[in-house]
Amino acid sequence: MNSTNMRSSTFISHFWNYIISFGLIAFVTAMFFVLRDALDTTLIALLYLIPLGLITALWGLGPGITSALVTFLAFNYFFISPFYTFTVHRPTDVVILVVFLIVAIVISQLVGRTQASFAAATSREREATQLYELSTALAGLHNDHVISEILAKQVQDVSQGEAVELDITGMQPFVFRLPDVTPPTRSPELTVLIQTVRDVLGEIRLWRAAPAISLEEKRLLETFASQGALALERARLAQAESRARVLEESDHLKSILLSSVSHELRTPLSTIKAASSSLRANEISWDSPARAELIAAIDDEADHLNMLVGNLLDMSRIESGALKPKREWNILPEIVGSVLARMRHSVEEHKLEIDVPESLPFVPVDYVQMEQVFTNLVSNSLKYAPSNTVIRIRANIEGETIHVQVSNQGPHVPPEHLERIFDKFYRITAADRVTGTGLGLSICKGIIEAHGGRIWAENVSDGFAFNFTLPLTWEGAPPPHFPMDTETE
Amino acid sequence: MSNAPHILVIDDEPQIQRAIRTILTEKGFRVTTASRGEEGLTLAATNEPDIIILDLGLPDMDGVEVCTRLREWTQCPIIILSVRDSERDKVAALDKGADDYLTKPFGIEELLARVRVALRHSTSRQGTQSKVINAGSLMIDLAWHIVKRGDEEIKLTGTEYKLLAYLAANHGRVLTHQNILTQVWGPADADHTEYLRVYMRQLRKKLEADPERPQYILTEPGIGYRFISDE
Repeated sequence: MNSTNMRSSTFISHFWNYIISFGLIAFVTAMFFVLRDALDTTLIALLYLIPLGLITALWGLGPGITSALVTFLAFNYFFISPFYTFTVHRPTDVVILVVFLIVAIVISQLVGRTQASFAAATSREREATQLYELSTALAGLHNDHVISEILAKQVQDVSQGEAVELDITGMQPFVFRLPDVTPPTRSPELTVLIQTVRDVLGEIRLWRAAPAISLEEKRLLETFASQGALALERARLAQAESRARVLEESDHLKSILLSSVSHELRTPLSTIKAASSSLRANEISWDSPARAELIAAIDDEADHLNMLVGNLLDMSRIESGALKPKREWNILPEIVGSVLARMRHSVEEHKLEIDVPESLPFVPVDYVQMEQVFTNLVSNSLKYAPSNTVIRIRANIEGETIHVQVSNQGPHVPPEHLERIFDKFYRITAADRVTGTGLGLSICKGIIEAHGGRIWAENVSDGFAFNFTLPLTWEGAPPPHFPMDTETE
Repeated sequence: MSNAPHILVIDDEPQIQRAIRTILTEKGFRVTTASRGEEGLTLAATNEPDIIILDLGLPDMDGVEVCTRLREWTQCPIIILSVRDSERDKVAALDKGADDYLTKPFGIEELLARVRVALRHSTSRQGTQSKVINAGSLMIDLAWHIVKRGDEEIKLTGTEYKLLAYLAANHGRVLTHQNILTQVWGPADADHTEYLRVYMRQLRKKLEADPERPQYILTEPGIGYRFISDE
């Protein structure tokens, strides 16, 4: 509805108020005229107050005063001698006119005040309801975007504006618009800051050319803005708190890591320091066999250090999700063979039984990472299984996956530990017997899971076994086959 | 002394510079060092070294970029240094023209072996390529297409021979999967690592005494293969 329409409609309704007022006075005057012989002039003047009071109460001051004048004229014309003239002879008649006017003014004032206070009460109630709705909708929300959406909707509901825009500042600033289109190019009719005691968190912009935004509306929207500010602040505090909690947890893990790591790093460092300093101090004669032994120790311990650092790097990569397998179609026996060839000195004290058939299909794995899985599983088995026992590696197809088992004849692991041995820094036995950062198995788990497989440990009849599965398909494609050329040159 | 091979080391870590310089100088090489990529490129242009040892983790430039820019004008052998777990970078640098790589921390025998191979290949580029490669009991005659173990001739298929010949001609050097696939099978098959896996396995079964512990054709995990000869 545009403003011209609205104004003409009020004008028409006012016009009708006057017509009806005059009609009422005419009707009453006619009745009094018929009964004029039975009624005293003073009584008639008194009775005129009834329609006058009604008119003022119903339609306000304008019709009231006009009606008072018209009533006085009618009274004068019909009921005061000389009849049928507007001439006033007695001063008391003027008093009657004044009384009519005073009555009209007083009643209209009283009624007006009541109406105003009623309207105020109604609007206060509506505001309270809207605020209540807003604060209920915002309660418990921890997401800036959701809060802005609700706030914008509420502003739009109340104001019926052309467009509402919320410009939220902070670490991740954004703009929310309702409707979701570019707002009018002119500057907004109302801009309200969303601010807390400490901070400005954003701004509400409202476009509504007409009707002009009233003071009450502005006040209500400011209240909305402060509700929004509270909700946003609450959300940010909650986010900060949860961030702090995560940090605290990772801090705790880091301190475990640091203590474990510094212990593990110091052991090889001590060896290197002792060996290199004694070589440097010329305390060992040039031809002594101890010399070669010390040099070998430095070399070995440097390798050991390198392995520890590598494990830490792998772990941090797994933790941060940066471990992405570079898959290729690989031959499992080749990977196993290459690992065992590299570990041949470490496995000398154990018997190896390998059952990884050549007939297995290609597996879509990262060669380097799978080497590491086998290295870690075999070296873990070597640590716990007594010398001269059998370490067995077996692989077979189960449906669309390949199942690999690395088993040893070492001691059983209590069932409650079976899950947890893949956790970081977890050790079943006392640390003095077994060295390592406690990361090897959790790295295996990270790698296998990054490949879409599963890893678990179990007690078997004659010992202990690690199992893992790997999918044989790669992005839905089965292992490739290709014809070999067999003719020789 | 001025005839001693000249080696340019581009590495930003002073300890590594010191270690490499000490060892190589002791072995009779002339050594120049640079700690930044730009400096390295300038020294490579002014000093014309015989070998460049290039660290991939430089502060001012990507090592692969240094490699690419060097290859725009020089065929000087480049040995890259990098840390473990950066196979992608290593492969990228090798495919951009680097000749070999060393993973930090490395043993000195490895460094010297790489330097020797690089020197040999830089002279063979100038024309004196040997036609017969000996590795243990293996003999590969590249001119006559003959492969023998001891006195016994080994029968190879066409692809197997092409593969072995390419490896043997580059003995001592690492060859990336993509490089080998492109040379032996052609550019269209450069991504089919599985071809390589199967043929390498067959080849090892025919050549190696213990195919699981190869002596001649070594796997460089995540990178490629290397043929080890007697030289």
